[in-house]
Order: sequence, then structure tokens, then C-alpha cells
Amino acid sequence: MGAGQRVVEREELAQAPNTKPRRQRWFEYQKPIPVVWSLLLGISVWVLFFGMWELAAARGWIDTLFMPPPHQVLATLYTMIAERGFLSDIGISIYRILLSFAMACAIAIPLGVLMGSFRTVDAFFNPFVSAWRYLPAPAFIPLLLMWFGVGEGSKLALLFIGVIFFLITLIMDHTRAVRAELIETAMTLGANRWQILSTIVLPAVAPKILVSMRQMLAVSWTYLVIAEIVAATTGIGAVMMRGQRFLKVDEIMAGILVIGMVGLFFDFLFRLAYRVLFPFVANGQR
Amino acid sequence: MPPKSFQAASPKLAVRGVGKRYRLNGGKTIDAVHDVSFDVMEGEICALLGPSGCGKSTVLRMVAGLEDPSSGAMFLDNAQIDGPHKSRGMVFQRYTSFDWMTVQKNVEYGMKINGVSKADRGAQADHFIQMIQLSKFKNAYPCQLSGGMQQRVAIARTLANGPSILLMDEPFGALDAETKWQMQELMISIVETSKVTVLIVTHDIEEAIFLADRIIFMSRHPGTVRENMVTEFKDGRRFSSHEEMIEAKGFHEIEKKIMHMMRDEMRNDREEALQEC
Repeated sequence: MGAGQRVVEREELAQAPNTKPRRQRWFEYQKPIPVVWSLLLGISVWVLFFGMWELAAARGWIDTLFMPPPHQVLATLYTMIAERGFLSDIGISIYRILLSFAMACAIAIPLGVLMGSFRTVDAFFNPFVSAWRYLPAPAFIPLLLMWFGVGEGSKLALLFIGVIFFLITLIMDHTRAVRAELIETAMTLGANRWQILSTIVLPAVAPKILVSMRQMLAVSWTYLVIAEIVAATTGIGAVMMRGQRFLKVDEIMAGILVIGMVGLFFDFLFRLAYRVLFPFVANGQR
Repeated sequence: MPPKSFQAASPKLAVRGVGKRYRLNGGKTIDAVHDVSFDVMEGEICALLGPSGCGKSTVLRMVAGLEDPSSGAMFLDNAQIDGPHKSRGMVFQRYTSFDWMTVQKNVEYGMKINGVSKADRGAQADHFIQMIQLSKFKNAYPCQLSGGMQQRVAIARTLANGPSILLMDEPFGALDAETKWQMQELMISIVETSKVTVLIVTHDIEEAIFLADRIIFMSRHPGTVRENMVTEFKDGRRFSSHEEMIEAKGFHEIEKKIMHMMRDEMRNDREEALQEC
């Protein structure tokens, strides 16, 4: 040991005071809770919701003509699927969603990436895209019906214009957020503009694009129901509309239930795809 | 190192009267860099040192070709610098790992886009990954690595591409003290083996003295060269550890001298230093 210092020995500090563990509390600001807790709490809110509903129906607190209890909705859903070919309606709705969404992505992804990368492309398209974003898609329904008739075309077109402009804007913003250092690093390694786009910008923004797609697919469902309610004979929305005409509230509710479940399923697929495609994204950033 | 007479005749990097003028919103202009000239010799580690706002990063970015000078010119191996090129690879302060590539693929990246065959770049990458002591993690993704490891990957990626000069912009600024030491010492051993010429920007006086054979001290408002020093107390060799440097004769003198210059610069705070939001 050199001069000018004194090492404090461990024994000097070894006297342990009486220790007492801190009490666990239900409500702590921002603190994580055990997984089991959060799972149980998540399930119990639904149990409570349907339980109250059933109870209210059984006690006659609500008019079951307008609010049939959950078990009746489930039973109706079963007969719709088993006896009235509801599955094919679900199928055609999913087909409309996927086809229109694929078309929207096919344009939005390349355009959004290019707009986010090059200010020249941005300056040309942005005034156009921004203006369209503020026009509500359903306002085009009368026009679309005149152009495409009541066939598939008008539905696909509504879904398409309903999501594409938002999708372009989201992807453009994400592309613009690709860190300049990554691009500059590639430049000083000798990459040309095309190589930077294909080997840096695209892979860097890909996870964010998938997240945007997940969000916009949910919006797609909104427009689907609008399209099918307005003018369709097939699809989940059309079935719900018929239910309304014949005062079959349970059929309307079954439709809502199915939309919710299919939506959740697609959400799950996107999350799964994210995990499989982008294993390198740090957990905290997912 | 090549003989001194040869060095003096042809510098590796020559920066001649370089300036950078920015136009502010109000139409006023500001000289971020003014009339900067210096040489970097073959195999030399040269540090650009100075207070923040002295334009040292701007000079480095101009050497990299990422920004254009408003006046003057720069030459690497007697060829004028014009835009980014693989002969001037740069390592940044912020992590630049390509998250979607493994360590191996990151290090191979530069060679891949420059058309090096798969077998060659595999061997070359192995060599440099070994040099930065990450062989065990060559199949790991950057998100699994610590900050120091990511910077090592960035260094290996740049060197594997065979640059004529390695440019570094405060590469260890974001690391904790002990990792910084380790990295600086690793840097010395890398330069000793690869013989690469290095131009490094730093505001850390000890780092500059430890690494550099030549220190260009810059002052601000406008950013210009205040002193061009060769670290003669090292006697033509480099230190392999910080302890060795601290015990070396002449270290405290040069450290004190630079500290005085730095202190002097701190008095030189002017209103133009205000940035735009």
C-alpha cells in the first residue's frame, strides 16, 4: 500500500443492522408485476364482463331481445357455421381484406421507402399523398359504386384507398428515421446508392414496416364492414346487416365476435412473423 | 515505419487550407472550420483534439467525404478527396452495427459490396474478428453484444475492407471508463499489427496522448489549428498500457500543456456558439 491512503477493513463495516424485507404492495408506480398475476387479471376482466352480462340477462335486468346473453350468441354462431354456410362468408371477407391489403402494400412499401430516402421523391409525392389522407374513404362509396358496380371491385377499391395513404406515410416516416450513421458507414465502406437502399435502408426499416402493416390491417377491417354493410350479399358485414333486418341481434353479435377473433388471429400471425423474421431485434424494442 | 526523409516528402493525408462555412437561417454565415492545414504520415496515429465546437468532427467528416469543404482541398495518397470512398473507412461514436447481420456478416459487409469472393472475405473476416477477440461471438447478433464489443465490430468491419486510412469520430466516447482503457490498448495493438494510418477525433486529453503520434489541437470560433504537436516524449514507440504512459517521463508536461490550452479555450465562449433548435 502506498502513502496517502488508508484501506477501510471489511470488519469495520460488518455490523449488520436488523433487516426487514420491504412489504409487497398491489399498487406500485411503473413496477413490473408477476406474469401469473398479469395473466389472471387479464382473464378475470373478461370473466367479469361476460359474467355480469349473463347475470343481467338471467335476472331480466336487460331485454334479451336486444341484448341476448353470451351463451345464446355462441349457440347462434354454431348454427350459422354448421347450417347456414357462415364459414364461406368469413372466407370471402378475409379474401377481400388480404387481396386489397396486398395491393396497397405492393405500392405503399416501395413508394414509402423511396419517399423516406430521397427528398426529391418526397417533394413530388407528399403533397398528393397528404391531401388524400384527409379525405375520408367512405366518402368515395357512391363514386365507387358507380364505377365498379356492386361487385368485388367497389369493395376492394374502398379497402385499398382506405389504407394505402396512411401506409405510405407511416413507412415514409420509419424510413426517414433510419439513422444517418448507418448510411454514412456504408458510404465510407464503398457502397453505392442502390447498395445502400437494398442492403441497409430496407433491412433496417423492415421490422417497422411489418409493425405498420399490422396496425393498418386492423384499420382495413373497419372499412371492410362499411363496404359490406353498404352493398354486399356475401361477407360478415352482409350477414350482420341481414340480422338487423330480421331483428336477429344474436347474429349481429356473432358477426362482431367473429371479426374480433379473426382480427386477433391476424395480429397473432403478424407477431409470430415478426419473431421469426427479425430475431435480431432487441427485446425491449419490440 | 518508413524512414523520416521519405515521410516528410509525401504525407499519407494532406489537408490544405480547408474551411467550412454554414449559412444560418437569418442569412448570416458562420465559419465552423477556417483555414485548417495539417499532414498525417503513413502509419501514423493522428488525433484531432479540442473543445466541443472547434470543428474537429467537421474536419473528419470532410476527410471522409461525407461533407464538402467550402474552401481548400484534401489529398489522400496525392489524390484529391471527392466524396466518400472505401479507402477512407469511418468508425462513429454512436453504434453502427447492422442489427440484422451477425458479427461475421457485419465484418464481411464492406468486402461483400465491393465484390470480394465469399471464400476470401470469410478468411479476411476471421482474421479481423480474431484481432478484436470476438471469435467466440462471430455468429451472435449485435443486440447480444455490449457497447464495447459493438465498437470492436465496427473497427474490424472498417479494417477488413482494407482502407488506406482509418477515420474515427470519438469512437470510445460512449463507453465506460474501464472499457475505454481496454479499447484504447486494443487499438494500439491493432495498429501495430495492421500498420494502418489513423485519424481520430477526441475531446479526451489522455486518450489523445495515449494513442496519438501526432496531436492537432484545434481552437474554436472559428475552428482552426492552434498547435500541431508530435508526442516526442514517447521516443518513437507506443505504450501498451496506461500505467506505462503515466510513469513515462514527459507525460505530465504534455498533459499539463494541453490542459492549459483547453482551459484557455473555455474562456473563448461566444454568443455565436448558440445552435439552432
